[in-house]
Amino acid sequence: MSERKQRFERVVLPHLDAAYNLARWITRNDHDAQDVVQEAALRAYRFFDGLRGEAKPWLLAIVRNSCLTWLQVNRPADLAGFDDRVLEPQAPEEDGPEAQAMRAIDRRMLNDALAALPAQFREVLVLRELEDLSYKDIARVADVPIGTVMSRLARGRRLLGEFVRAVSKAANQAADR
Amino acid sequence: MTREEAKRLLHAYVDGELDPSKTLELEAHLAENPSTRAEWEGLRGMSAAIRTKAEYYTAPIGLAERLADPVPPAPEHGPRRFTLPRWLIPAAALAGVAVLAWVAATLATRPGEDERIATEVLSAHVRATLAGRSFDVASSDQHTVKPWLSARLPFSAPVSDLSAQAFELTGARLDFVGGRRVAVLAYKRRQHLIDVFVWPGESTPELRLARDGFNLEHFAKNGMNFWLVSDLSRNELGDLARLLAERSAL
Repeated sequence: MSERKQRFERVVLPHLDAAYNLARWITRNDHDAQDVVQEAALRAYRFFDGLRGEAKPWLLAIVRNSCLTWLQVNRPADLAGFDDRVLEPQAPEEDGPEAQAMRAIDRRMLNDALAALPAQFREVLVLRELEDLSYKDIARVADVPIGTVMSRLARGRRLLGEFVRAVSKAANQAADR
Repeated sequence: MTREEAKRLLHAYVDGELDPSKTLELEAHLAENPSTRAEWEGLRGMSAAIRTKAEYYTAPIGLAERLADPVPPAPEHGPRRFTLPRWLIPAAALAGVAVLAWVAATLATRPGEDERIATEVLSAHVRATLAGRSFDVASSDQHTVKPWLSARLPFSAPVSDLSAQAFELTGARLDFVGGRRVAVLAYKRRQHLIDVFVWPGESTPELRLARDGFNLEHFAKNGMNFWLVSDLSRNELGDLARLLAERSAL
């Protein structure tokens, strides 16, 4: 086996789970995520000589690009979630999520809420909370300035909080009846 | 610091990205402003909820094998599949070979076997948790647990005290996995129960899985196979696996 191939395996392939997790959260479908990761692995191998620095954000940036290419071809409507012009008018500033509501939310509800977020917020939350990436690395993966990462995280969390508040309110009303 | 500025900095604070001088300023503000503090607690709760409750999709075991096949013909969803340009096929074949070798090296050569053990370990964990019977010997003292296990098993399972790392040993029990008697060490972090299954055997490659909201970690060290299962977050379970691997190396 060539030295290059060995290096590729050692450096890149341990991040296969992270690659799949990101692709799965962006495409929201197991089958599509597998297709995308397959494509991304090919691209990563082709561009491997260009890798400088850490492999994980580098690979995830390729996975994200593969997701966008894939959506463009197969589900162009889903790309709207990456377009910030649509969402530019900021929602009125509301109070953050109540800690109690957050603790009470069950697994399925939280997953549904996260999957329902527009893609640009969903991806930064997944990269931050599930992959534990720094702002700098998220900026690299999502190809935006760090300031944009921060505003997307803030906005994404606010949207998620609104959802949780709505759900717990509905649950309380049902309980009161 | 104004309330607006404090609110703006809360996210960076929760994410551990705030510089030390701003951190001090913000903490002073939090001490005096209950409303900002409530918001901070909400954000912290949200971060914790995503980390512990959001699905972490691990790559399906079959995916690595599919990567090894450079041009998979799958007519059942033809138009949605990538087609490779001809010039890319050699590169794809190379990548395929690389991935295939990696699959052989890192995943078990029999993924079906791993799946089976993962399922058994998970069922054993859920059964024990449902029955409220996580251990037969209750002790946080490794010098009580280890001899108790050794007296009942044909091998001596390594038992580590990790209370300093906030993994509390609560006891041990025996269980039956893969047709053999195995040791199960019960640990606890916050309210999460963690079962560590241990048995001697050929070492198989490391594995990380998520099933039904549970996380599983497998590794082998010094002739012992370890399987960890818990509803604890993936990162924290990974921490425990690393600690156990370090301790068993001693």
